[in-house]
Amino acid sequence: MSNIFSNFFRKASRRETLEAVALISIAVAFNMTFGYFSAFFAVYLSFFEWDYIGPMKFVGLKNYELMVKDLLEGAMGASYLITPFFTGLKNILLYTAIVVPVQTFLAIVLAVLANQKIKGIQFFKVSYFLPATTCPVIVSLIFVWLFMKKGFINYALSFVTPGFQPDWLNDKNYVLMAMALVAIWGTSGHFFVSFLAALQAIPKEVYEAAMLDGAGPIRRFLYITIPLLRPMVTYAVVMGLIGALQMFDLAWVMAGSGGGPGGSGYTIAMDIYNEAFTKLRPGVAAAKSMFLFAIIFTTTYIYQKKYGGVIR
Amino acid sequence: MRIKQVIWLAFTFMVLVCFAFIYLMPFLRSAVAAFMTWEQASKYPPEWIPDPFTLENFEKLFRLKFFPRWILNSAVYAGIIVAGNVIFTSMAGYAFARLRFPARDALFSALQALMMIPGFVTLVPNYIIIYKLGLVDNIIGLAILGIVNVSSIFLMRQYFLSLPEDIFEAARLDGCGPIKTFFYIALPLAKPAVGAVAVYQFLGAWNAFLGPLVFLRSPENFTLPVGLSFAFQRTMWVEYTPIIAGSLIASLPTIVLFVTLNKYLIRGIVVTGGKS
Repeated sequence: MSNIFSNFFRKASRRETLEAVALISIAVAFNMTFGYFSAFFAVYLSFFEWDYIGPMKFVGLKNYELMVKDLLEGAMGASYLITPFFTGLKNILLYTAIVVPVQTFLAIVLAVLANQKIKGIQFFKVSYFLPATTCPVIVSLIFVWLFMKKGFINYALSFVTPGFQPDWLNDKNYVLMAMALVAIWGTSGHFFVSFLAALQAIPKEVYEAAMLDGAGPIRRFLYITIPLLRPMVTYAVVMGLIGALQMFDLAWVMAGSGGGPGGSGYTIAMDIYNEAFTKLRPGVAAAKSMFLFAIIFTTTYIYQKKYGGVIR
Repeated sequence: MRIKQVIWLAFTFMVLVCFAFIYLMPFLRSAVAAFMTWEQASKYPPEWIPDPFTLENFEKLFRLKFFPRWILNSAVYAGIIVAGNVIFTSMAGYAFARLRFPARDALFSALQALMMIPGFVTLVPNYIIIYKLGLVDNIIGLAILGIVNVSSIFLMRQYFLSLPEDIFEAARLDGCGPIKTFFYIALPLAKPAVGAVAVYQFLGAWNAFLGPLVFLRSPENFTLPVGLSFAFQRTMWVEYTPIIAGSLIASLPTIVLFVTLNKYLIRGIVVTGGKS
């Protein structure tokens, strides 16, 4: 009797395995090829010199050496034209340092404000989120026009800060700032919606208890809201870091593929693209992409370790 | 106390309205400027009402030889991506959520780990693979890279896990095999998840830039974002209004989609973002 049953189950489970393999095969095959195979191939490639056509030549760590030399020379103050990687790194770190804190903070503040008995909350959600669903390249094209010297943004600024009328995209001190503003405009709405949902999930009783204990609104915000929001803050910061460190589209359109005035809009991602597809040095591009991966991995890792808890 | 509260609420409302204005302003500006002459659109201080009202920006745009092709290419690309993801990730998501087979969890973790690898690492090797397959400068070559997205598998799996076990148990006891169960029971129940995957993938494909920029080489194969950014760089327009009009056309599908489906989309983003 038990024999028949175990036989039945073995057959059933063999069938289940077979059919499961059939169901997942395409998904797994594609992701193994374009994900894992490509990732390992990128590591392999970073030790070779190649021009896509001729034979691959093993060069050891030469590609990495090139990269480090670029960084060192850049740090010594060489011109941006000979140290594109250093320029890109410097810019993207500055850009990330502006974008991630500002967009996260803005999203939290707006979410806290919106988390009250206010009419038309859906309208605010939709209008704040709309930039996040629009193509970054299209957004940048529109902002190129808005950021012109005699453009709409300078007009709007003339009411807030009279006399401050930079030529945003042609002044090397402001290109990166302009891109950061567009990025904040484009992504903060996404995090606003996430934070609002997290806030709405906090039970009212917690606040009522704090109120009974005599905690004012600011204390309630600092000691209840912020700690309870922490997992969401971690999520927003990590996603923000990953997005900002790889920024490409905005710079490509707003600063141009060359990186804008004085290379002030050049990013690491653009440098990887240029190495691979204009200078035709895929080995160097692969080495640089390893570096980009390392920065993204360490920053997000450190952040999670330090402030995070687990993201589920 | 009461008055203080009213003032606070009024203040909050003001701030929120101001920000709504900031977020919507570029859309409003381009919506009016698309119907202006460049002479008027570049005026300082800015004007709001098109005078004369003109459609010549759109005419100029469609006089560009490839502009209709770009729209078509974007649609084809987004269509393939959406179809591929809906079909393959629902199958995989179901198998990972509901079937038992060796190394299931290890395989799924391996797929999930792929989400941590930045696109720039795999970009060059993928280009080489597609190049060797002879599919560079071909929408198909570009599309197969994104046809089974890991985040879609994740979303599908999450949804199938949330369905009650009883249904699947009943099907199994009735002798319904896994694949049959998938087509007759799981898939019809998964419409919300399929819809979510379809919409996210559509937005992603329609808005994609880096992939199309790298893998599509000749102007007649460009998608809208690449085409527009090239039109903007290459010809150095004396007038910018046709670009604005083009941007408006390119962003219209995503805007319409988002505004009509906003309730579901926002909920979905919250679920996939924070809690799942």
